[in-house]
Amino acid sequence: MLTQIGPSTPTQSAQVIARRAKVIQTFKDELIRRLNLPYLPEDLHEDVSLLGSGLGLDSLDALEIVLCIESCFRIKIPDENISVLRSINTVVDYVLEHQDGKGTTP
Amino acid sequence: MRASLLRPHLAQAGASFRPRHGVEVVAHFTDRASEYAAIRNAVGLTDFSFLRTFAIPEAQAIDALDVLLAGNVPKIRFGRVLHTFLADPHGHVVADCFVANNDQEFLFTCESILSDDSLNSLLDPSGSGILGQDLTPDIAVFSLDGYKAWEIVKKVFGPDVLGLPYLSIENYSFAGQPVRLIRAGKTSEFGYLLFAPKSAAAELFETLRTEVTAREGRLCGVEVHDDLRLDGRFFNIHAEGSQVRDPLPLGLQWMVDFDKPDFLGAAAIRERRAAGLQSKIIGLAAPQGAESIVLGTELFHEGRAAGKVVAQGFSPVLSQSLALGLLPIDIAYSGLEFRRSQPDGPALRSISMPPIMPRSLSVKLDEM
Repeated sequence: MLTQIGPSTPTQSAQVIARRAKVIQTFKDELIRRLNLPYLPEDLHEDVSLLGSGLGLDSLDALEIVLCIESCFRIKIPDENISVLRSINTVVDYVLEHQDGKGTTP
Repeated sequence: MRASLLRPHLAQAGASFRPRHGVEVVAHFTDRASEYAAIRNAVGLTDFSFLRTFAIPEAQAIDALDVLLAGNVPKIRFGRVLHTFLADPHGHVVADCFVANNDQEFLFTCESILSDDSLNSLLDPSGSGILGQDLTPDIAVFSLDGYKAWEIVKKVFGPDVLGLPYLSIENYSFAGQPVRLIRAGKTSEFGYLLFAPKSAAAELFETLRTEVTAREGRLCGVEVHDDLRLDGRFFNIHAEGSQVRDPLPLGLQWMVDFDKPDFLGAAAIRERRAAGLQSKIIGLAAPQGAESIVLGTELFHEGRAAGKVVAQGFSPVLSQSLALGLLPIDIAYSGLEFRRSQPDGPALRSISMPPIMPRSLSVKLDEM
């Protein structure tokens, strides 16, 4: 439910951006490397769909993405949570929630 | 103005029409919320005959299309569909396109913000007929979308249709006439585009309509697709596409093969890419119950003007007004607060897209 509003002070915003940007950069770099994608990190919009439409990755690629997340962030993605692979941003949300200790323990 | 060849049938069924870029489209049949619910929970049937559709002999299609489109046409495997765009010489997006490798022909569709004449000038400036047969006046195109859409195509065309992966094409027969089918929805639910010749169009429409109604689905207009594309985060040429035009801030790099030698608008796009991305679009949500977000509204972040709203809609699933904002790259992140219209205006939050979890994700067609 998207009812909460985000940080409102410059310091809080800067912290949110810095933390998020770091996870995004790590994930994009590893994604491009593992899947040999013909793009620069800045070419990958964070909302682009990873599977099906968008990058059009298949089920084997999905497995590689799961391994990528496990390797980069030491977070496991159980089968029932595979929907977090909808976009880079949904993956990043999942990683940040786990780093905050809010995520579901696999 | 061009109209669907099924206009009399659509009108009789209660369609409300409106012009869009020189083409008459079905705006809606009932209210937007009902049509949205039909597609998310059951199935919706929408007339997509506004698409420009060409059938190009294989021998000329690859060269003809590859110099026009941003994607790599020669790499399209048999039976598969490429989703890409057409840009003008300034590198501005003018059409959202599918190219299908369909045996002896390539089927090419354009959902464009240009009039038919302007699009013709861009696609075939010398009028040489390089794009083969323009099927547009002689076919009806239906979009069958929804959680239960697969049940209908299975019943009408047989169980093999369930084996089609996303972005693939197959040829079927209906009432003795050829019907091309592309699996390529833009709603997050199951989606199929059906291309029927004039001789079978009315009968196919009535058959699909009967099956849709039997599943508590509805006839739908194009307006509800704006909401579905927004909360499913599919590119919408008629919304953010027509407002922003530059494929890079729109995040359409995945539709581009930057390694191919040339395509329409390539030089301008490459130049902007080399200069670095300055802004991009990002999802925004208003708190539940808040006033709807308005297209063009100025956005503020920490007291300074930051960007503007380039697409907006309402997600009944989330009960929230959603939008896309064009923002400078340094603050184009989800999880931040923005204000609308003025520095202390109503608050919005930037969000990760897509914010919804479509029901169709829970269905495994290969196990049906």
